[in-house]
Amino acid sequence: MALGAWGLGLGGQPADVQVAAAVSLTEALQEIAAAAEKQQRIRVTLNLAASNVLARQIVSGSGADVFISADAAQMDVVAKEGLIRQRVDLLVNQLVVAVRSDSKVALASETDLTKPGVRRIAIGDPAGVPAGVYAKQFLEKAGLWRRLESKIVPTASVRAALAALESGDVDAAMVYRTDLGIARSVRAAFPPLPEPRVLYPAALLSATPHAARFFEYLRSPAAAAIFRRHGFGSVACNEDRVPEAVKAA
Amino acid sequence: MTPELLQVAAFTVATALAATALAVPPAIAIAWVLARGRFPGRALLETVVSLPLVVPPVATGLLLLYVFGRRGPLGASLASAGLDVVFTWRGVVLAMAVMGLPLVVRTARTAFEQVDARYEQVAATLGARPLRVFFSISLPLAARGVVAGAVLGFARALGEFGATIMIAGNIPGRTRTLATAIYSYTETGRDSQAAAVAAVSIGLAFAAVAISNRLAGAAR
Repeated sequence: MALGAWGLGLGGQPADVQVAAAVSLTEALQEIAAAAEKQQRIRVTLNLAASNVLARQIVSGSGADVFISADAAQMDVVAKEGLIRQRVDLLVNQLVVAVRSDSKVALASETDLTKPGVRRIAIGDPAGVPAGVYAKQFLEKAGLWRRLESKIVPTASVRAALAALESGDVDAAMVYRTDLGIARSVRAAFPPLPEPRVLYPAALLSATPHAARFFEYLRSPAAAAIFRRHGFGSVACNEDRVPEAVKAA
Repeated sequence: MTPELLQVAAFTVATALAATALAVPPAIAIAWVLARGRFPGRALLETVVSLPLVVPPVATGLLLLYVFGRRGPLGASLASAGLDVVFTWRGVVLAMAVMGLPLVVRTARTAFEQVDARYEQVAATLGARPLRVFFSISLPLAARGVVAGAVLGFARALGEFGATIMIAGNIPGRTRTLATAIYSYTETGRDSQAAAVAAVSIGLAFAAVAISNRLAGAAR
């Protein structure tokens, strides 16, 4: 807030907007930030990490203006501290079981993860990293968690799970469908998992007008188009609220 | 102490001991050649051995990851022999050993330098071969310093974080150490557990450093 006032006071300086966002949004948000900076007199600073890490930072007073979490649980951590001024469900995504492109283990479904050829499976740390929480939820519901638990390598974020797969040090990883867009020599083993529903809530945390404007921009058709191009389903677009259609897509 | 904390503490002490055992023999050899040897590349060796002290530990971890990853030059052959390093306890030991090595070398080197070279010369003139001189004169005379260095390396291994998390990850029950447990507990909001683990690590480190200081003091 102090920085914002400083920006407005000088008149010539663009106001700073601190955005803390789930690391899976990296590429989409970089593009959206650039587009917003062209349109509004703001400078967007992105703090990208696992949502549980960001929630911790925000609760400890890191001073973010906007927070986009990869699950509701981490947004609730921030909400419980009374730090949220406005909250919307912004995006949806899906989990996918990924393997290296040159993988020789044939995986037709999640049950095949029990094959001996799959020795290690990277997922976000299910103790907090949303992608890992979703993955554990899915495996538990499929009745596979106990059988697979000894193969699980928990990572600090979903992108760390992807990196472990890229380097070949694990045989499979459970990441978001959208992560495959940036991955090298990695493919989905089979179609994305229909559940659990991966939901990204977004929240406005500060009272500054430029932060509110950026928060609005996140829900604009222009931003929704960018999110969609990166593979996300947009559920909170101002113009066309069509969550069911997007979910089906 | 919860069973989980006990397991992490026991695992950390065990891997730190293994790392010390792995680091001490090469450390003694390096310390000896640095103390007594005059050869080209000596300054380079001295610098390289000290690097893990000052390079960010995650950078050391990254280097180890490149070398020992399943696709790395050493990791590929180790993996085909069934010896996976990355995301296993072996990775923990390796990271700890590399990070502890410089401390063992520096302490042991000082101890070797304090050994009066005349004893070694006398032994040599009486016909003892260099290896015999080393094991019956130099090493026993420098023993306290070497052990102090080993204890210091052990203490460093106990607290290793950056290189460990890069190469071994942070897998509960398999590669999680005291240091990475503190990190996990904090990141997932379990502050009281983090504090308990921190207390245990401080206690262990205190004991190790106290022992090292005692030994080093007695050596002087």
